Amino acid sequence: MAWDWESKESKLHKKKNVSFNTGMARMGDLGKRKVKVLDESTDNNVSFFQKAEQVPEASDDSDEGSSFSDDEGEDSSSQDEEYVDEDDSEDDDSEDDSDSDEEKNDDQIEEVLDTVTQNDEYEYDSSDEEDVRNTIGNIPVEWYDDYEHIGYDVEGRKLIKPNHGDALDEFLQKADDPNYWRTVKNKLTGQKVVLSESDVRAIQRIQASTHPDGSEGLYAPWVDFFSNEVMNMPVTGRPPDKRSFIPSKWERQRVGQMVHALKMGWMKPRGEIRKLKLTQDPNAPSLDLWKEDNEPDITKRYRMHIPAPKEPLPGHAESYNPPEEYLFDEQEEAKWEAQEPEERRINFKPQKFSAYRSVPKYSQFVNERFSRLLDLYMAARQRKMKMNVNPEDLIPKRPDKKDLQPYPTREGMIYKGHTDMVRSISPDPSGQWLASGSDDGTVKLWEVGTGRCMTTLKFAGKVTYVSWNPNPAINLLAAVVGPTVILLNPGLVDKLVCSNTDSTLDKYEDDGDTAGKKSFVEWSTFDVLDQEKGLRIQVVHAKDVVQFTWHTKGDYFATVQQDGSKSQAVLIHQLSRRQTQAPFSKPKGLVQRVIFHPVHPYFFVATQQHIRIYNLVKQELHKKLQANCKYISSIDIHPGGDNIIIGSYDSRLCWFDLDLSTKPYQTLKYHKKALRQVAFHKHYPLFASASDDGSVIVSHGKVYSDQLLNPLIVTVKVLRGHKTTNHISVLDCKFHPTQPWIFSSGADSTIRLYV
Amino acid sequence: MAAEISDSVPHVQAKFFTKQEQYSVADAPYSIPSTVSTKELNNIIYSVLCDGDVKEKVEFDFLIDGEFLRTSLAVHLDDKNISPETVIEIEYVERQTAPRPETSLVHDDWVSCVQGNKNLILCGCYDNTLKLWTRDGKCLTTIPGHSGPVKCVAWIKTEGKSDNEPMFVSGSLDQTLFVWRWKETKKEVDCVYACKGHAGSVDCVAVNNDGARIVTGSWDKMVKLWSLVDGTTVAEDSNDDSSGDLRKKKKLKGTSQKLSVRIPLVTMSGHKEAVSSATWLDESNVCTASWDHTLRVWDMTRSEQTQVVEGSKAFFSIAHSPLSNLIVSASADKHVRLHDLRTKEMKGTYTSHTGWVSSVDWSKSNEHMFISGSHDMLMKLWDTRSPKAPLYNLIGQEDKILAVDWSIPDLMLSGGADNQLKMFNYNKQK
Repeated sequence: MAWDWESKESKLHKKKNVSFNTGMARMGDLGKRKVKVLDESTDNNVSFFQKAEQVPEASDDSDEGSSFSDDEGEDSSSQDEEYVDEDDSEDDDSEDDSDSDEEKNDDQIEEVLDTVTQNDEYEYDSSDEEDVRNTIGNIPVEWYDDYEHIGYDVEGRKLIKPNHGDALDEFLQKADDPNYWRTVKNKLTGQKVVLSESDVRAIQRIQASTHPDGSEGLYAPWVDFFSNEVMNMPVTGRPPDKRSFIPSKWERQRVGQMVHALKMGWMKPRGEIRKLKLTQDPNAPSLDLWKEDNEPDITKRYRMHIPAPKEPLPGHAESYNPPEEYLFDEQEEAKWEAQEPEERRINFKPQKFSAYRSVPKYSQFVNERFSRLLDLYMAARQRKMKMNVNPEDLIPKRPDKKDLQPYPTREGMIYKGHTDMVRSISPDPSGQWLASGSDDGTVKLWEVGTGRCMTTLKFAGKVTYVSWNPNPAINLLAAVVGPTVILLNPGLVDKLVCSNTDSTLDKYEDDGDTAGKKSFVEWSTFDVLDQEKGLRIQVVHAKDVVQFTWHTKGDYFATVQQDGSKSQAVLIHQLSRRQTQAPFSKPKGLVQRVIFHPVHPYFFVATQQHIRIYNLVKQELHKKLQANCKYISSIDIHPGGDNIIIGSYDSRLCWFDLDLSTKPYQTLKYHKKALRQVAFHKHYPLFASASDDGSVIVSHGKVYSDQLLNPLIVTVKVLRGHKTTNHISVLDCKFHPTQPWIFSSGADSTIRLYV
Repeated sequence: MAAEISDSVPHVQAKFFTKQEQYSVADAPYSIPSTVSTKELNNIIYSVLCDGDVKEKVEFDFLIDGEFLRTSLAVHLDDKNISPETVIEIEYVERQTAPRPETSLVHDDWVSCVQGNKNLILCGCYDNTLKLWTRDGKCLTTIPGHSGPVKCVAWIKTEGKSDNEPMFVSGSLDQTLFVWRWKETKKEVDCVYACKGHAGSVDCVAVNNDGARIVTGSWDKMVKLWSLVDGTTVAEDSNDDSSGDLRKKKKLKGTSQKLSVRIPLVTMSGHKEAVSSATWLDESNVCTASWDHTLRVWDMTRSEQTQVVEGSKAFFSIAHSPLSNLIVSASADKHVRLHDLRTKEMKGTYTSHTGWVSSVDWSKSNEHMFISGSHDMLMKLWDTRSPKAPLYNLIGQEDKILAVDWSIPDLMLSGGADNQLKMFNYNKQK
């Protein structure tokens, strides 16, 4: 009787509350009804759960045969089943007591009720619960009123309504049939049904507005939970404690304490605490749900975890019963023994055992484990971030050479005429003439466009330096012959300029003051014969002059004396007053080159490794530049005045941006041998360097007026042509003042023009 | 003849035509192998002409779409993207015969400038003199006068004038311009005017067609216009001139006792560098070339600049042909360039020289021909239709060529740094 307990359980669930409420007054009824339940369940092999539910609803008057349920929905399924039973076996029904008959009547009464109460069949949808004994489906039956059939059978034939005769038959029946008054017509099937006595009584009760089954109370009878019957699985019958009905004292105390704490402000509600935290702590984490990369470090570590390398799996040699070929013969064993442990191919001797159980303990086990663990511990396993960078991407973008044109590209002209190496060249400010000074003791003046030597001036010694006065209004050429600086007026340019130059030179009158002063040099003019040749003034120094440079205005010039007494190494001369001064009492180091700033009163003095910039007005050191080279050979200043380049004998060219730093902005080491000369172009963004390796390298050096942009330096052309004699090749290079051309003079006694 | 060549080489259809009536052939397409060059084409034409009555062998040059065929036909078609499927129209002209070198005239110094006029040749030298030669190589006179090397000379056209004595003008590094008259009867030269005003060497001079106006360009970046006819601008040379020119004046007085000095009509500034060459385009327009990489066109009647053409190199020399209305220019590189001032674009580049091209001149009779002289000692004869290669290299000069001239239609002149003036006889086509 497994279901017995189940049914009780279900009853328990259903009626528990009721039992608590109403007490145990009706416990005595339980036994009788239980029997009833058992009967029903045995008869109908339907889901006992449903039956069990039905049990408590079955009233005490179930013997009277009317088992109307309050809930039509719940009952409908059971009705269906009962109906099926009825169709299947009339015998079963007849064997039953009056229950089956009564149930049959139930249906009929229900139909009556339908006609009486249920006018609107669509009030609720209960199609699956309706009587399905006709085949018309879920349509109003009235639709068949005008037809003689109602529905169709399986083969599609019409189901003819039963013939009830006409009005006369009706009348006859009314007169003859004693049951006529209680005969009703089943609308769905068209059958006539004779109501039973109980049906009639029920109708009468309904009409009287009482309970249709005639029971006194509407409520289900009390089913007592506890009975005198001993249950297989008894439930405790202990009555509930008093404390289950009254609130807990301790809880009340605790709540009271909390309320007090809240009132006093000792404690705060959780929401308030959170709000408080947010408002008070500015560093509180924001509640950004979508924030990423917020994972704790530990997960990062796990993610970067690299598993330890696996040990190789044991092979045949490790087997306790290895194949013969794995076993060592004597020779192999001797070899194994002779080898150092590190050299051995395998670190054990393969052995053969008759059975696995006879394998002894592996003596090297601890050692191997230890070394393995030591390896894992000592060998850092870390992921190396490998960067895939295209090497070409690291090279900065260089502008196309074509965009940097014009610059000299090929040899345009060779000026031939000197018989010894040409030490120095200088184009005149207009660019029509080129002066050159050579070791053969001559100064030659060339016409740039045709290569014609216009004038040759012979001097006593080697001409080491020529320089044309940069002022276009003064036509003066300076030539350095040994210790003498000779100023010439070659007279090739505009006659007015020439005469003006002469007249300004003539204007000077010796005021006689020089006699009292300490004189470093000796100024003198040439006699008339030499004046005819163009010679004008000579300045005789104490020692050989190694460098000569004009100031931009053309009135001052500076000379550097070779190994002169230290204070007189650098001299600055003023042409208009024929005065000479030695600006430095004690120059630091051996002075190589000097140059004037084109705009400001600055004076650059290059010693072997440093360049010092002096302010001539304030007479103080302005800046000191560190040239990262050993021996400065040449210097030139950008026409803007903010950049200088120096060349050195250790084949470097350094570009200084005076605004940037005292270190070179860029160092170019493209020459193979010592640099002899560096030069800036006056207009084009070009500079060049001449070297002993026989080449002149022209570079594009653009200085931007924008302070934020650094100069752009691109080497554009290597010009070759001069021959090397006695390890000396190109001695001087100068740009043409207006064209993008460069002149170079060399030890091969030629001057070349590259265009 | 074409059929004899094996079929393995591709053939093209070609029509031949010529503008020289005496050599015309039938207007029928010929199938010729595409590998042929000028020589084989010549044979074809010659064989066709031999059917007629042409006796002597004539050499032809062949033009396809206005360009000389210098390679094989297939290569040429490939270069020019001409489809070999079409019928190719080949024009043929009688080949230019090689210019014959004539006499060589030796000077005392570099010849810087030269110009011929009928049977007279005028040279300027670096020894400050001008030399007047006849065509036959006879030195008529040596004209001292300048105190600096003579940089430019030009003949003044005097046809139709009353005296009809040849006049010429010379500019020099001494910043002056002299106008001379050659008195043929007395065999002597008169200095007519001295033109002063430039503040630099006078590098170029150009005389207009009626001989009334002279344009000069100078190293002082100015272009000046001088008049030869208007007497109003004549100023007598007086002794109150600036004292700086004493030496020069002495020399001048040695040659010519009475000397009238002219000042420029108009001075035009615009060039940023030295003006190296000038040429008249028509009666009122002058084109000048400068070291500042520009060509400028000036309207002389309004005395203003009308057009600027930018080049890439400093210009040394330009020449204008009234026949083709094109300008050929020599720059500080080895190329000769052809400009059309109307379109402002370069029409062609002629590259064959290996040194700077110092001077160029157009043929006065042929609209396609010009000559160029270069520092590589070669004078080259060019046809504008043959940009790849010149027609002839004229060898003879032993140093840099500084000046070329083709003013006399059948005489090409070149002078250079070897002190020589070379003459080449140019045989005109019949």
